[in-house]
Amino acid sequence: MRQIVCACGLLLTFLHTPALADGAARVVRIGALLPISGAGAYFGVQDREGIDLALDQLAKSPPGGARFDVHIEDSACSPLPATQAARRLLDGYRPDIIIGEECSDATLAVMPLVLQAGVPLLNAGSSALRITDPGNRETFRILPDEVMQGEDLANHAYRDLGARNAVLLHENTNAGIGNAAIFARRFAALGGKVVQTIGFGRDVNDFTAIATRIAALGPIDVIPTYTLEGQGLKITEALAQAGVVRGGGGHAVQLGTIWLPLGFDQQAGKAAEGYVRIVQFEPRDPRPVVQDFVAAFQAKFGHQPTHISAHAYDQIMLIADAVRRGAATPAAIRDRLAATRGFSGVTGSVVFDEHNQNVSRDTIHYVETEADGSFKPLDWK
Amino acid sequence: MFVLAVQQGLNGLVLGSLYVLVALGLTLVYGVLVQINFAHADFVMIGAFSAYFVTHALHGDYLLSLAAAGAVGALLGYLVNAAIFAPLLGKGSELRPLIATIGVSVMLENGALALLGPVPYAFATRYSAEVIRFGPLYLTAQSVIILAVAATAIVLLHGFLRFTFLGKALRAVAQDRETAGLMGIAPDRLIMLTFIIGSALAGLGGALLAPVLVLTPFAGTSVIVKAFAIVIIGGFGNIEGTILAGLLVGLIEAMTTQVLDPGLIDIVVFGLLLAMLVIRPTGLIAERREENV
Repeated sequence: MRQIVCACGLLLTFLHTPALADGAARVVRIGALLPISGAGAYFGVQDREGIDLALDQLAKSPPGGARFDVHIEDSACSPLPATQAARRLLDGYRPDIIIGEECSDATLAVMPLVLQAGVPLLNAGSSALRITDPGNRETFRILPDEVMQGEDLANHAYRDLGARNAVLLHENTNAGIGNAAIFARRFAALGGKVVQTIGFGRDVNDFTAIATRIAALGPIDVIPTYTLEGQGLKITEALAQAGVVRGGGGHAVQLGTIWLPLGFDQQAGKAAEGYVRIVQFEPRDPRPVVQDFVAAFQAKFGHQPTHISAHAYDQIMLIADAVRRGAATPAAIRDRLAATRGFSGVTGSVVFDEHNQNVSRDTIHYVETEADGSFKPLDWK
Repeated sequence: MFVLAVQQGLNGLVLGSLYVLVALGLTLVYGVLVQINFAHADFVMIGAFSAYFVTHALHGDYLLSLAAAGAVGALLGYLVNAAIFAPLLGKGSELRPLIATIGVSVMLENGALALLGPVPYAFATRYSAEVIRFGPLYLTAQSVIILAVAATAIVLLHGFLRFTFLGKALRAVAQDRETAGLMGIAPDRLIMLTFIIGSALAGLGGALLAPVLVLTPFAGTSVIVKAFAIVIIGGFGNIEGTILAGLLVGLIEAMTTQVLDPGLIDIVVFGLLLAMLVIRPTGLIAERREENV
C-alpha cells in the first residue's frame, strides 16, 4: 500500500513539474517582482502590459523552441513585501531568472536572496548606485544608474538651461536621496549652487507649504524632483499655484529622471509646462524595433506604451536573447546575459560592464512638456 | 518674514480644516459608541472617488459632487452600522465591532483596488488651478472652498448638537445610554444617526481632500493616522477639542515645513501626541464626559 502511495506521489510530482508536464518544449520560468499595490502600483500595471506583449510575440516564434512562463508576485515597491515575494518565487516557483523590482529599496533588499539562490535578477527600474556598484554577480541592470542619470541631468541643467541655482525635492528613499545627492555634487562641481534640499515621506499629500517655502527663496532656476507619479503631480500643481515654475507663470524649470511615466504631462496639464525630464523610451524613435513595438502595443492595448512597459518588454526580450544563445539554466542565463553584445531593445542597446551595469547611454532621452500637455524631444547629447 | 508666516498660516488652516472634517467623524462615533471605526479611512477614500466620478459625470461641477460624496458617506455609515455595529454591540467583547471594522476596511480597500486599479487618479478641479492673489499672499479657489465648506459643516454640527432636540438626545445617549433610554430616547436610532453624520463628514472630507490627495484606493490611510492623532490630542469624543487639535496640527505642519524637512514633521506631530498623553491625557480641552459630543 505504501508503495502505491509513494508511486502516486511521484507521479503527481512528475506531472506538476512545469518543464516536464509541457512535453518537448523547455519552459523558461521567469519570476517577476512587480509593485501591484501601494504608491508604485502604476509601475506594475504598465510592466504587465510590456510582459504580455513580449510573451505573445515569443509564443509565435519561440527562441530555441523554448516556452516562456512568467509568474508575478506583488513586491509593493517596498523592502519587506519584496523580500517576502522573492522568497515565494524562489521557494515555490523556482524561476530560472527574476525580473524587477522597480523601487531601489525593494531591489536592494532582494539582491542578497538571489545571490544566495544563484538565480539572476534582471532589473530595469531601480536607479540606486549600490545595485551594481558594488552589486553582486547575479544582479543585472539595463537602466542607467543614478550617477549616469544625475550627472547627465546636472550637466544639461548647467550648460543647456543656464541654471545657476537649484532646489532639490526628493522622497526619503535610497533612490530619492541618492539621485538628489548625485545631482547636487555634479551641479556644485560645475559652479552651480544648491539652495535647499527638501526630503519628504511617501505619506505627504499636501505640498502647498513646501511650494510656499520654495517661493520665498527668490528666483530658482531648476527644481530637480525625485518622486513617484502621484506625489509628482501634486508637487507640480503646488509649484505652479505658488508661481514658482513656468507652468504657473514663474521662472523655475522642474527636472526629472525616469520616475515619471509618459502620460504624466497630460495628467499634470498646464502646471507641467516646461518640465524637462529623462525618459528611457521615445515612441517616435524611428528604429524599426521601436516602431514595431509601438504598433503592436497600440494594437493589443489600444494606447501608447510608456517607458515602463517598454522596459518590461526589453527585459523579457533580453532573456529570450540569452536563451537563443543557448542558456538553459540560471547560471547559463547569467553568463549569457553578462556576455550580451549587440542587443538592441526598444529602450536602447545593452552592454554590461564588469558590475553588470548597462553602460549604453543611448537609453537616455530628454523631453520637455508643452503647455498643452504634449511633450517634445530635446536634442541633448 | 511676516508675510511668509501668514502664508504658511493660511496653508495650515486649509490643511487643518481637512483634518478636522475627517477627525470629527471619528470622534463623533467614539463619543457616542465608545468605539473606533477603523473603516473611517475608507469612507474618506470612497468619498474622494465619489467626488471624482460625479465631477466627471457632471462635466466638472465639483460643488455638486461634494453633496454626492456626503450622501455616499452617509449611506456607507448606515450600511456599516446596520450590518456590523448594531448586531455586534453589547454582544460579548467590545473588541468585536472594532475588529469587524478592520475587516470592513480591508474589504473596501481591496474592492476599490479591484474596481478602480492602483494607478493614481489625477483630480484637478477647475478651482485647483484658479489662484486668488491678494498682495504677496495667495490661495487657490479650491482652498477657499475647503475653508468655507469646513467652517459651514462645523457650525452646522455644533448648532445641531447644541440647539436641536435630536442633538440634545444624542448628547444624552453619549452621557448615559441606559438612562437616556429610560427617558424615552431610542439609543439605537441615535447611534445610527451618529454613524450617518460621522460617515457623511468622512465622505465630505474625502471630496474636499480628493484634489489634494494622491488619489488611490489607499488614499484614506495617509490621512487617517493624522486624524487619530488629532482625536487623541483633542480628547477622545470631544468635538471642540478635535476642531482645535485639527487646526493646530495643520498649522504646525505648515509652519514646521518652513524650517524642517517634511519628513520630520510627523516627529513634531506625534511628539505632541505623546506629550499630550503624558501631560494631559484628557486632551486639549479637559474632558468632562457630559460635555462630550
